[in-house]
Amino acid sequence: LVGLNDSLYLALNDFSGRSWFLDAAISLAMDNPLVKAGPIAACFAFCWFAQGSTEERERRRRILLATLASLAILLFANRTLQKEVFLPRPFILSQPVQMLEGNRLIARPPLHYNVPLAGEMKSRFEQMRHGDIPDNFLRSFPSDHAAFFTALALGIFLACRTAGVIALLWTAVVVLLSRMVSGMHSPADIAVGAAIGAFGLFLMQFLAARQLRLIADSGARLTLRYEGHAAAVLSLVLVEVVGTLDNTKKLMGSIIDVLESVF
Amino acid sequence: VKFVRSLLVGGAAAITILLAGCDQVATGMVLSLVGELQGEVLLTSADGMGSPDGLLWHDGQLLIADEGGNAVLAWIPGRSLRTLADRSSGISSPEALAIGADGAVYWSDDTAGGVWRLDTAGHVSSYLDPRLASSTEGLAAMPNGPLVVGTNDHRLLEVRGPNRLLLRARLRKPESLAFDEFGNLFVADDEDDALYLLTKEGRLRRLADHHPGFSPESISYAGGGVFYITDSRHSKLFRYSEMDGLEPIARFGGDLANVQGITTDDRGRIYLSFQTGRRHRKGYIVRLTPEGYGAREAATGT
Repeated sequence: LVGLNDSLYLALNDFSGRSWFLDAAISLAMDNPLVKAGPIAACFAFCWFAQGSTEERERRRRILLATLASLAILLFANRTLQKEVFLPRPFILSQPVQMLEGNRLIARPPLHYNVPLAGEMKSRFEQMRHGDIPDNFLRSFPSDHAAFFTALALGIFLACRTAGVIALLWTAVVVLLSRMVSGMHSPADIAVGAAIGAFGLFLMQFLAARQLRLIADSGARLTLRYEGHAAAVLSLVLVEVVGTLDNTKKLMGSIIDVLESVF
Repeated sequence: VKFVRSLLVGGAAAITILLAGCDQVATGMVLSLVGELQGEVLLTSADGMGSPDGLLWHDGQLLIADEGGNAVLAWIPGRSLRTLADRSSGISSPEALAIGADGAVYWSDDTAGGVWRLDTAGHVSSYLDPRLASSTEGLAAMPNGPLVVGTNDHRLLEVRGPNRLLLRARLRKPESLAFDEFGNLFVADDEDDALYLLTKEGRLRRLADHHPGFSPESISYAGGGVFYITDSRHSKLFRYSEMDGLEPIARFGGDLANVQGITTDDRGRIYLSFQTGRRHRKGYIVRLTPEGYGAREAATGT
Protein backbone atom coordinates (compact mmCIF):
# COMPACT_ATOMS: atom_id res chain seq x y z
CA LEU A 1 0.00 0.00 0.00
CA VAL A 2 2.89 2.37 0.85
CA GLY A 3 4.58 1.48 -2.46
CA LEU A 4 1.38 2.14 -4.40
CA ASN A 5 0.92 5.46 -2.64
CA ASP A 6 4.51 6.53 -3.41
CA SER A 7 4.23 5.45 -7.07
CA LEU A 8 0.98 7.38 -7.55
CA TYR A 9 2.45 10.44 -5.87
CA LEU A 10 5.59 10.30 -8.05
CA ALA A 11 3.50 9.98 -11.21
CA LEU A 12 1.42 13.05 -10.25
CA ASN A 13 4.37 15.14 -9.06
CA ASP A 14 6.03 14.48 -12.40
CA PHE A 15 3.82 17.26 -13.83
CA SER A 16 5.41 19.76 -11.43
CA GLY A 17 8.51 21.78 -12.34
CA ARG A 18 7.97 21.45 -16.11
CA SER A 19 5.98 24.53 -17.03
CA TRP A 20 5.92 27.92 -15.33
CA PHE A 21 2.29 28.44 -16.40
CA LEU A 22 1.11 25.06 -15.08
CA ASP A 23 2.93 25.58 -11.76
CA ALA A 24 1.50 29.10 -11.44
CA ALA A 25 -2.02 27.75 -12.15
CA ILE A 26 -1.57 24.98 -9.57
CA SER A 27 -0.37 27.56 -7.06
CA LEU A 28 -3.44 29.68 -7.75
CA ALA A 29 -5.70 26.66 -7.20
CA MET A 30 -3.96 25.90 -3.90
CA ASP A 31 -3.40 29.27 -2.34
CA ASN A 32 -6.01 31.64 -3.72
CA PRO A 33 -9.23 31.11 -1.69
CA LEU A 34 -11.38 32.64 -4.42
CA VAL A 35 -10.11 30.21 -7.06
CA LYS A 36 -9.93 27.25 -4.69
CA ALA A 37 -13.26 27.50 -2.92
CA GLY A 38 -15.18 30.33 -4.59
CA PRO A 39 -16.93 28.18 -7.24
CA ILE A 40 -17.92 25.56 -4.64
CA ALA A 41 -19.37 28.26 -2.39
CA ALA A 42 -21.22 29.63 -5.43
CA CYS A 43 -22.67 26.15 -6.15
CA PHE A 44 -23.76 25.93 -2.52
CA ALA A 45 -25.45 29.36 -2.69
CA PHE A 46 -27.14 28.43 -6.01
CA CYS A 47 -28.51 25.28 -4.47
CA TRP A 48 -29.67 27.15 -1.36
CA PHE A 49 -31.58 29.80 -3.27
CA ALA A 50 -32.70 27.75 -6.34
CA GLN A 51 -36.38 27.92 -7.24
CA GLY A 52 -38.75 24.98 -6.80
CA SER A 53 -41.77 23.77 -4.86
CA THR A 54 -41.83 24.42 -1.10
CA GLU A 55 -41.23 20.71 -0.41
CA GLU A 56 -38.30 20.60 -2.78
CA ARG A 57 -36.72 23.75 -1.31
CA GLU A 58 -37.26 22.37 2.20
CA ARG A 59 -35.59 19.09 1.22
CA ARG A 60 -32.59 20.96 -0.23
CA ARG A 61 -32.26 23.17 2.82
CA ARG A 62 -32.37 20.13 5.12
CA ILE A 63 -29.57 18.43 3.17
CA LEU A 64 -27.46 21.60 3.02
CA LEU A 65 -27.89 22.31 6.74
CA ALA A 66 -26.86 18.73 7.55
CA THR A 67 -23.85 19.20 5.22
CA LEU A 68 -22.72 22.29 7.11
CA ALA A 69 -23.17 20.48 10.43
CA SER A 70 -21.07 17.57 9.14
CA LEU A 71 -18.15 19.95 8.37
CA ALA A 72 -17.69 20.80 12.04
CA ILE A 73 -17.72 17.11 13.00
CA LEU A 74 -15.25 16.29 10.21
CA LEU A 75 -12.92 19.00 11.36
CA PHE A 76 -12.84 17.49 14.83
CA ALA A 77 -12.44 13.89 13.54
CA ASN A 78 -9.60 14.88 11.19
CA ARG A 79 -7.73 16.85 13.85
CA THR A 80 -7.99 13.91 16.25
CA LEU A 81 -6.58 11.51 13.65
CA GLN A 82 -3.82 13.98 12.67
CA LYS A 83 -2.68 14.13 16.31
CA GLU A 84 -2.28 10.34 16.27
CA VAL A 85 -0.50 9.91 12.93
CA PHE A 86 2.85 11.58 12.33
CA LEU A 87 3.37 11.85 8.58
CA PRO A 88 5.12 14.86 7.02
CA ARG A 89 4.04 16.26 3.67
CA PRO A 90 5.61 14.50 0.65
CA PHE A 91 7.82 17.47 -0.31
CA ILE A 92 9.41 17.33 3.16
CA LEU A 93 10.11 13.63 2.70
CA SER A 94 12.30 14.54 -0.28
CA GLN A 95 15.04 15.42 2.27
CA PRO A 96 17.08 12.92 4.32
CA VAL A 97 14.63 11.97 7.08
CA GLN A 98 14.78 9.45 9.87
CA MET A 99 11.45 8.49 11.39
CA LEU A 100 11.05 7.56 15.04
CA GLU A 101 9.27 4.21 15.15
CA GLY A 102 8.97 2.81 18.65
CA ASN A 103 12.42 3.34 20.13
CA ARG A 104 14.31 3.32 16.84
CA LEU A 105 15.17 5.92 14.24
CA ILE A 106 14.62 4.43 10.78
CA ALA A 107 16.06 6.13 7.70
CA ARG A 108 13.38 6.74 5.06
CA PRO A 109 14.56 6.69 1.45
CA PRO A 110 14.06 10.26 0.13
CA LEU A 111 11.06 10.70 -2.17
CA HIS A 112 11.90 12.36 -5.45
CA TYR A 113 10.39 15.84 -5.64
CA ASN A 114 10.04 18.15 -8.63
CA VAL A 115 10.20 21.67 -7.22
CA PRO A 116 7.58 23.94 -8.86
CA LEU A 117 8.91 26.80 -10.96
CA ALA A 118 6.46 29.31 -9.50
CA GLY A 119 4.12 29.95 -6.60
CA GLU A 120 3.96 29.45 -2.88
CA MET A 121 5.19 25.84 -3.01
CA LYS A 122 8.53 27.01 -4.36
CA SER A 123 8.97 29.31 -1.35
CA ARG A 124 7.68 26.63 1.04
CA PHE A 125 10.33 24.26 -0.31
CA GLU A 126 13.08 26.85 0.19
CA GLN A 127 11.88 27.61 3.72
CA MET A 128 11.79 23.88 4.48
CA ARG A 129 15.46 23.56 3.49
CA HIS A 130 16.25 26.06 6.26
CA GLY A 131 14.16 24.08 8.72
CA ASP A 132 11.31 26.60 8.73
CA ILE A 133 8.45 24.14 8.71
CA PRO A 134 5.04 24.90 10.24
CA ASP A 135 3.95 22.12 12.62
CA ASN A 136 0.87 21.26 10.54
CA PHE A 137 3.22 20.39 7.64
CA LEU A 138 4.40 17.43 9.73
CA ARG A 139 0.93 15.96 10.16
CA SER A 140 -0.59 15.80 6.71
CA PHE A 141 -2.60 12.60 7.18
CA PRO A 142 -5.49 12.72 6.51
CA SER A 143 -6.01 15.79 4.34
CA ASP A 144 -8.31 18.45 5.85
CA HIS A 145 -9.03 19.81 2.38
CA ALA A 146 -10.06 16.39 1.06
CA ALA A 147 -12.43 15.72 3.96
CA PHE A 148 -13.88 19.22 3.92
CA PHE A 149 -14.44 19.74 0.21
CA THR A 150 -15.55 16.16 -0.50
CA ALA A 151 -18.25 16.47 2.16
CA LEU A 152 -19.29 19.89 0.89
CA ALA A 153 -19.42 18.87 -2.78
CA LEU A 154 -21.25 15.60 -2.04
CA GLY A 155 -23.76 17.51 0.08
CA ILE A 156 -24.40 19.91 -2.81
CA PHE A 157 -24.72 16.91 -5.15
CA LEU A 158 -27.35 15.30 -2.91
CA ALA A 159 -29.35 18.54 -2.91
CA CYS A 160 -28.90 19.66 -6.57
CA ARG A 161 -27.51 17.38 -9.25
CA THR A 162 -26.11 19.96 -11.72
CA ALA A 163 -24.49 22.23 -9.12
CA GLY A 164 -23.27 19.11 -7.33
CA VAL A 165 -21.51 17.71 -10.41
CA ILE A 166 -19.72 21.05 -10.91
CA ALA A 167 -18.73 21.15 -7.22
CA LEU A 168 -17.50 17.54 -7.30
CA LEU A 169 -15.45 18.10 -10.46
CA TRP A 170 -13.96 21.33 -9.08
CA THR A 171 -13.11 19.54 -5.82
CA ALA A 172 -11.45 16.62 -7.60
CA VAL A 173 -9.51 18.53 -10.25
CA VAL A 174 -8.77 21.95 -8.77
CA VAL A 175 -8.71 21.41 -5.02
CA LEU A 176 -7.39 17.86 -4.59
CA LEU A 177 -5.35 17.10 -7.70
CA SER A 178 -3.36 20.33 -7.32
CA ARG A 179 -2.40 19.33 -3.77
CA MET A 180 -1.04 15.98 -4.93
CA VAL A 181 0.82 17.36 -7.95
CA SER A 182 2.47 20.06 -5.83
CA GLY A 183 3.60 17.61 -3.12
CA MET A 184 1.44 19.03 -0.35
CA HIS A 185 -0.38 15.72 0.05
CA SER A 186 0.13 12.12 -0.93
CA PRO A 187 -2.71 10.17 -2.59
CA ALA A 188 -3.20 8.30 0.72
CA ASP A 189 -3.74 11.60 2.59
CA ILE A 190 -6.32 12.62 -0.01
CA ALA A 191 -8.04 9.21 -0.27
CA VAL A 192 -8.45 8.80 3.48
CA GLY A 193 -9.46 12.46 3.90
CA ALA A 194 -12.09 12.08 1.16
CA ALA A 195 -13.36 8.81 2.67
CA ILE A 196 -13.69 10.48 6.07
CA GLY A 197 -15.49 13.40 4.42
CA ALA A 198 -17.90 11.10 2.63
CA PHE A 199 -18.48 8.97 5.71
CA GLY A 200 -19.11 12.01 7.93
CA LEU A 201 -21.48 13.54 5.40
CA PHE A 202 -23.56 10.39 4.91
CA LEU A 203 -23.69 9.78 8.64
CA MET A 204 -25.04 13.28 9.19
CA GLN A 205 -27.51 12.95 6.28
CA PHE A 206 -28.67 9.62 7.69
CA LEU A 207 -29.27 11.19 11.10
CA ALA A 208 -30.97 14.24 9.56
CA ALA A 209 -33.34 11.96 7.63
CA ARG A 210 -34.19 9.76 10.62
CA GLN A 211 -33.25 10.39 14.26
CA LEU A 212 -32.79 14.14 13.88
CA ARG A 213 -35.52 14.60 11.25
CA LEU A 214 -37.63 16.82 13.49
CA ILE A 215 -34.73 19.21 14.19
CA ALA A 216 -33.53 19.19 10.56
CA ASP A 217 -37.03 19.89 9.21
CA SER A 218 -37.61 22.67 11.72
CA GLY A 219 -34.28 24.24 10.76
CA ALA A 220 -35.09 24.03 7.06
CA ARG A 221 -38.55 25.59 7.56
CA LEU A 222 -37.07 28.38 9.67
CA THR A 223 -34.61 29.29 6.90
CA LEU A 224 -37.54 29.51 4.46
CA ARG A 225 -39.70 31.56 6.81
CA TYR A 226 -36.88 33.96 7.75
CA GLU A 227 -35.19 34.09 4.35
CA GLY A 228 -33.40 37.42 5.01
CA HIS A 229 -31.90 36.33 8.33
CA ALA A 230 -30.93 32.95 6.88
CA ALA A 231 -29.22 34.65 3.90
CA ALA A 232 -27.23 36.90 6.27
CA VAL A 233 -25.99 33.94 8.31
CA LEU A 234 -25.32 31.91 5.16
CA SER A 235 -23.12 34.70 3.74
CA LEU A 236 -20.96 34.55 6.90
CA VAL A 237 -20.80 30.76 6.71
CA LEU A 238 -19.77 30.86 3.06
CA VAL A 239 -17.02 33.37 3.79
CA GLU A 240 -15.66 30.90 6.33
CA VAL A 241 -16.13 28.03 3.84
CA VAL A 242 -14.07 29.93 1.23
CA GLY A 243 -11.35 30.30 3.87
CA THR A 244 -11.59 26.52 4.55
CA LEU A 245 -12.74 27.21 8.12
CA ASP A 246 -9.29 28.61 8.97
CA ASN A 247 -10.62 30.84 11.73
CA THR A 248 -12.76 28.03 13.11
CA LYS A 249 -9.74 25.69 13.07
CA LYS A 250 -7.68 28.21 15.04
CA LEU A 251 -10.47 28.55 17.55
CA MET A 252 -10.83 24.76 17.86
CA GLY A 253 -7.05 24.38 18.21
CA SER A 254 -6.98 26.87 21.06
CA ILE A 255 -9.87 25.11 22.80
CA ILE A 256 -8.17 21.69 22.43
CA ASP A 257 -4.87 23.11 23.75
CA VAL A 258 -6.64 24.58 26.77
CA LEU A 259 -8.47 21.30 27.44
CA GLU A 260 -5.23 19.31 27.08
CA SER A 261 -3.40 21.58 29.50
CA VAL A 262 -6.23 21.19 32.04
CA PHE A 263 -6.65 17.39 31.74
CA VAL B 1 -26.09 7.65 -5.46
CA LYS B 2 -26.54 4.41 -3.53
CA PHE B 3 -23.59 2.85 -5.37
CA VAL B 4 -21.32 5.85 -4.66
CA ARG B 5 -22.50 5.88 -1.05
CA SER B 6 -21.72 2.17 -0.57
CA LEU B 7 -18.37 2.56 -2.29
CA LEU B 8 -17.29 5.45 -0.10
CA VAL B 9 -18.52 3.96 3.15
CA GLY B 10 -16.85 0.64 2.25
CA GLY B 11 -13.63 2.50 1.39
CA ALA B 12 -13.66 4.38 4.69
CA ALA B 13 -14.19 1.14 6.60
CA ALA B 14 -11.38 -0.63 4.68
CA ILE B 15 -8.94 2.22 5.31
CA THR B 16 -9.87 2.33 9.00
CA ILE B 17 -9.19 -1.41 9.30
CA LEU B 18 -5.86 -0.98 7.48
CA LEU B 19 -4.85 1.86 9.77
CA ALA B 20 -5.82 -0.10 12.87
CA GLY B 21 -3.71 -2.99 11.59
CA CYS B 22 -0.55 -0.90 11.28
CA ASP B 23 1.69 -1.94 14.17
CA GLN B 24 4.50 0.51 13.43
CA VAL B 25 3.44 4.11 13.21
CA ALA B 26 6.03 6.88 13.21
CA THR B 27 5.81 9.31 16.12
CA GLY B 28 8.67 11.68 15.36
CA MET B 29 11.46 12.58 12.96
CA VAL B 30 14.95 13.92 12.45
CA LEU B 31 15.26 15.91 9.22
CA SER B 32 18.83 16.58 8.10
CA LEU B 33 19.20 20.02 6.53
CA VAL B 34 22.92 19.88 5.75
CA GLY B 35 24.47 16.58 4.68
CA GLU B 36 23.08 13.53 6.41
CA LEU B 37 22.99 13.00 10.16
CA GLN B 38 22.72 9.40 11.29
CA GLY B 39 20.50 9.25 14.35
CA GLU B 40 20.31 6.57 17.00
CA VAL B 41 18.04 6.42 20.05
CA LEU B 42 20.28 5.63 23.02
CA LEU B 43 17.92 5.95 25.96
CA THR B 44 14.19 6.35 26.56
CA SER B 45 11.96 6.67 29.60
CA ALA B 46 11.71 2.88 29.61
CA ASP B 47 15.39 2.81 30.66
CA GLY B 48 14.55 4.56 33.94
CA MET B 49 14.87 8.19 32.89
CA GLY B 50 12.22 10.95 33.21
CA SER B 51 12.40 14.06 31.03
CA PRO B 52 16.07 14.83 30.36
CA ASP B 53 17.41 18.36 30.03
CA GLY B 54 21.13 19.18 30.29
CA LEU B 55 23.69 16.71 28.99
CA LEU B 56 27.44 16.50 29.43
CA TRP B 57 29.81 14.00 27.89
CA HIS B 58 32.73 13.47 30.24
CA ASP B 59 35.39 10.82 30.42
CA GLY B 60 33.53 8.16 28.41
CA GLN B 61 30.19 8.63 30.15
CA LEU B 62 27.10 10.70 29.52
CA LEU B 63 25.86 12.77 32.45
CA ILE B 64 22.15 13.59 32.32
CA ALA B 65 20.26 16.31 34.20
CA ASP B 66 16.90 14.55 34.44
CA GLU B 67 14.64 17.55 34.96
CA GLY B 68 11.38 15.59 34.93
CA GLY B 69 12.80 12.70 36.96
CA ASN B 70 14.35 15.04 39.58
CA ALA B 71 17.71 13.31 39.38
CA VAL B 72 21.22 13.46 37.96
CA LEU B 73 22.05 10.28 36.05
CA ALA B 74 25.14 8.76 34.43
CA TRP B 75 25.24 6.41 31.49
CA ILE B 76 28.14 4.46 30.07
CA PRO B 77 27.44 2.97 26.59
CA GLY B 78 26.43 -0.66 26.92
CA ARG B 79 25.49 -0.34 30.58
CA SER B 80 22.32 0.68 32.41
CA LEU B 81 21.62 4.12 33.86
CA ARG B 82 23.08 5.02 37.25
CA THR B 83 21.55 7.59 39.61
CA LEU B 84 24.16 10.00 40.98
CA ALA B 85 21.77 12.24 42.91
CA ASP B 86 18.03 12.49 43.43
CA ARG B 87 15.38 14.26 45.53
CA SER B 88 16.78 12.79 48.73
CA SER B 89 19.77 15.15 48.27
CA GLY B 90 17.48 18.21 48.12
CA ILE B 91 17.62 18.78 44.36
CA SER B 92 14.47 19.31 42.31
CA SER B 93 14.82 20.09 38.58
CA PRO B 94 18.47 19.77 37.52
CA GLU B 95 19.07 21.93 34.47
CA ALA B 96 22.69 22.19 33.28
CA LEU B 97 25.86 20.26 34.13
CA ALA B 98 29.55 21.09 34.35
CA ILE B 99 32.75 19.42 35.50
CA GLY B 100 34.82 21.60 37.81
CA ALA B 101 38.59 21.92 37.90
CA ASP B 102 38.48 19.61 40.97
CA GLY B 103 36.82 16.83 38.91
CA ALA B 104 33.50 17.17 40.76
CA VAL B 105 30.16 17.27 38.91
CA TYR B 106 28.19 20.52 39.34
CA TRP B 107 24.66 21.30 38.25
CA SER B 108 22.15 24.14 38.32
CA ASP B 109 18.51 23.71 39.36
CA ASP B 110 15.79 25.96 38.04
CA THR B 111 13.29 25.00 40.76
CA ALA B 112 15.41 24.48 43.89
CA GLY B 113 17.97 27.10 42.77
CA GLY B 114 21.64 27.31 43.70
CA VAL B 115 24.47 25.17 42.36
CA TRP B 116 24.95 21.59 43.53
CA ARG B 117 28.13 19.56 43.75
CA LEU B 118 28.82 15.84 43.58
CA ASP B 119 32.38 15.12 44.70
CA THR B 120 34.47 12.23 43.42
CA ALA B 121 33.53 10.22 46.52
CA GLY B 122 29.82 10.45 45.54
CA HIS B 123 28.76 12.97 48.21
CA VAL B 124 26.17 15.59 47.18
CA SER B 125 26.26 19.08 48.72
CA SER B 126 25.07 22.62 48.05
CA TYR B 127 27.88 24.65 46.49
CA LEU B 128 25.94 27.86 45.96
CA ASP B 129 23.17 28.54 48.46
CA PRO B 130 19.75 28.76 46.69
CA ARG B 131 19.09 31.96 48.68
CA LEU B 132 21.83 33.63 46.62
CA ALA B 133 20.38 32.42 43.30
CA SER B 134 16.81 31.15 43.62
CA SER B 135 16.50 29.74 40.09
CA THR B 136 19.60 28.82 38.12
CA GLU B 137 19.84 27.98 34.41
CA GLY B 138 23.05 27.78 32.35
CA LEU B 139 26.24 26.48 33.94
CA ALA B 140 29.79 26.10 32.63
CA ALA B 141 33.25 25.69 34.06
CA MET B 142 36.11 27.86 32.81
CA PRO B 143 39.03 25.78 31.56
CA ASN B 144 40.90 25.11 34.85
CA GLY B 145 38.93 27.88 36.48
CA PRO B 146 35.79 28.72 38.44
CA LEU B 147 32.18 28.09 37.44
CA VAL B 148 29.87 30.55 35.73
CA VAL B 149 26.11 30.30 36.27
CA GLY B 150 23.14 32.08 34.70
CA THR B 151 20.11 32.91 36.80
CA ASN B 152 16.46 33.53 36.04
CA ASP B 153 16.78 37.03 37.55
CA HIS B 154 18.98 38.07 34.61
CA ARG B 155 22.42 37.65 36.17
CA LEU B 156 25.54 35.94 34.90
CA LEU B 157 27.56 35.06 37.99
CA GLU B 158 31.05 33.75 38.50
CA VAL B 159 31.15 31.30 41.39
CA ARG B 160 34.65 31.68 42.82
CA GLY B 161 34.11 29.21 45.66
CA PRO B 162 31.31 28.01 47.93
CA ASN B 163 28.83 30.93 48.09
CA ARG B 164 31.40 33.39 46.73
CA LEU B 165 29.98 35.32 43.79
CA LEU B 166 31.03 37.91 41.27
CA LEU B 167 28.60 39.52 38.82
CA ARG B 168 29.99 39.10 35.29
CA ALA B 169 27.08 40.48 33.22
CA ARG B 170 23.35 41.16 33.12
CA LEU B 171 21.37 39.33 30.43
CA ARG B 172 17.67 38.60 30.00
CA LYS B 173 17.91 34.83 30.42
CA PRO B 174 21.31 33.12 30.31
CA GLU B 175 19.75 29.70 29.57
CA SER B 176 22.90 27.85 28.55
CA LEU B 177 26.65 28.54 28.67
CA ALA B 178 29.75 27.11 26.99
CA PHE B 179 33.43 28.04 27.05
CA ASP B 180 35.82 27.65 24.16
CA GLU B 181 39.41 26.56 24.76
CA PHE B 182 40.56 30.20 25.00
CA GLY B 183 38.27 31.02 27.92
CA ASN B 184 35.69 32.97 25.90
CA LEU B 185 32.17 32.39 27.19
CA PHE B 186 29.26 31.85 24.78
CA VAL B 187 25.80 32.47 26.24
CA ALA B 188 22.50 31.26 24.78
CA ASP B 189 19.69 33.62 25.78
CA ASP B 190 16.29 32.12 24.90
CA GLU B 191 14.29 35.19 25.93
CA ASP B 192 16.38 37.63 23.95
CA ASP B 193 16.67 35.07 21.10
CA ALA B 194 20.36 35.85 20.88
CA LEU B 195 23.78 34.31 21.22
CA TYR B 196 26.26 36.36 23.25
CA LEU B 197 30.02 36.23 23.52
CA LEU B 198 31.64 37.35 26.74
CA THR B 199 35.33 37.56 25.91
CA LYS B 200 38.08 36.59 28.30
CA GLU B 201 38.71 40.32 28.73
CA GLY B 202 35.09 40.85 29.81
CA ARG B 203 33.67 42.46 26.64
CA LEU B 204 30.08 41.43 25.78
CA ARG B 205 29.07 41.03 22.11
CA ARG B 206 25.87 39.86 20.42
CA LEU B 207 26.71 37.25 17.79
CA ALA B 208 23.53 35.88 16.21
CA ASP B 209 21.35 38.93 16.58
CA HIS B 210 17.64 38.76 15.73
CA HIS B 211 18.23 35.82 13.42
CA PRO B 212 14.74 34.77 12.24
CA GLY B 213 13.66 31.36 13.54
CA PHE B 214 16.38 31.23 16.22
CA SER B 215 15.83 30.95 19.95
CA PRO B 216 18.78 29.16 21.57
CA GLU B 217 18.01 26.65 24.31
CA SER B 218 21.29 24.87 24.89
CA ILE B 219 24.85 25.27 23.60
CA SER B 220 27.84 22.96 23.43
CA TYR B 221 31.40 23.56 22.24
CA ALA B 222 32.65 20.85 19.89
CA GLY B 223 36.20 22.18 19.44
CA GLY B 224 37.81 23.86 16.45
CA GLY B 225 35.68 26.98 16.88
CA VAL B 226 32.43 25.05 16.26
CA PHE B 227 29.40 25.24 18.56
CA TYR B 228 26.19 23.23 18.37
CA ILE B 229 23.03 24.93 19.59
CA THR B 230 19.55 23.50 20.19
CA ASP B 231 16.38 25.52 19.73
CA SER B 232 13.35 24.01 21.45
CA ARG B 233 10.95 26.72 20.24
CA HIS B 234 11.66 26.02 16.57
CA SER B 235 12.69 22.34 17.04
CA LYS B 236 16.05 22.91 15.35
CA LEU B 237 19.71 22.14 15.76
CA PHE B 238 22.17 24.83 14.67
CA ARG B 239 25.89 24.85 14.02
CA TYR B 240 27.77 28.07 14.73
CA SER B 241 31.31 29.11 13.88
CA GLU B 242 32.78 32.56 13.47
CA MET B 243 33.63 31.79 9.85
CA ASP B 244 30.31 30.25 8.72
CA GLY B 245 27.94 32.00 11.12
CA LEU B 246 24.73 30.36 12.23
CA GLU B 247 23.47 27.47 10.13
CA PRO B 248 20.48 25.17 10.81
CA ILE B 249 21.56 21.55 10.37
CA ALA B 250 18.51 19.58 11.57
CA ARG B 251 14.80 19.99 12.20
CA PHE B 252 12.97 17.72 14.61
CA GLY B 253 9.28 16.85 14.76
CA GLY B 254 6.62 14.89 16.62
CA ASP B 255 7.87 13.28 19.84
CA LEU B 256 11.29 14.79 19.13
CA ALA B 257 10.04 18.36 18.66
CA ASN B 258 11.05 19.56 22.13
CA VAL B 259 14.83 19.35 21.85
CA GLN B 260 16.60 20.42 25.02
CA GLY B 261 20.17 19.62 26.08
CA ILE B 262 23.22 19.01 23.93
CA THR B 263 26.77 17.76 24.28
CA THR B 264 29.41 16.32 22.00
CA ASP B 265 31.86 13.52 22.62
CA ASP B 266 35.56 13.53 21.78
CA ARG B 267 34.75 11.96 18.39
CA GLY B 268 32.45 14.80 17.30
CA ARG B 269 29.20 12.91 17.76
CA ILE B 270 26.26 14.95 19.04
CA TYR B 271 24.08 13.86 21.98
CA LEU B 272 20.66 15.44 22.35
CA SER B 273 17.93 15.21 24.95
CA PHE B 274 14.24 15.45 24.08
CA GLN B 275 11.32 16.01 26.41
CA THR B 276 8.11 14.42 25.15
CA GLY B 277 6.05 15.40 28.17
CA ARG B 278 7.54 16.55 31.42
CA ARG B 279 4.35 15.90 33.30
CA HIS B 280 4.32 12.32 32.03
CA ARG B 281 8.08 11.91 32.61
CA LYS B 282 8.84 10.93 29.02
CA GLY B 283 11.87 11.65 26.96
CA TYR B 284 14.62 10.43 24.67
CA ILE B 285 18.39 10.67 24.39
CA VAL B 286 19.49 10.57 20.74
CA ARG B 287 22.98 10.50 19.27
CA LEU B 288 23.57 12.12 15.87
CA THR B 289 26.60 11.19 13.86
CA PRO B 290 27.47 13.72 11.16
CA GLU B 291 27.96 12.53 7.58
CA GLY B 292 31.45 11.30 6.78
CA TYR B 293 32.06 10.31 10.39
CA GLY B 294 33.14 6.77 9.46
CA ALA B 295 35.56 8.02 6.77
CA ARG B 296 37.06 10.56 9.15
CA GLU B 297 37.43 7.91 11.85
CA ALA B 298 39.16 5.56 9.40
CA ALA B 299 41.49 8.31 8.17
CA THR B 300 42.54 9.32 11.67
CA GLY B 301 42.71 5.71 12.85
CA THR B 302 40.63 6.45 15.95
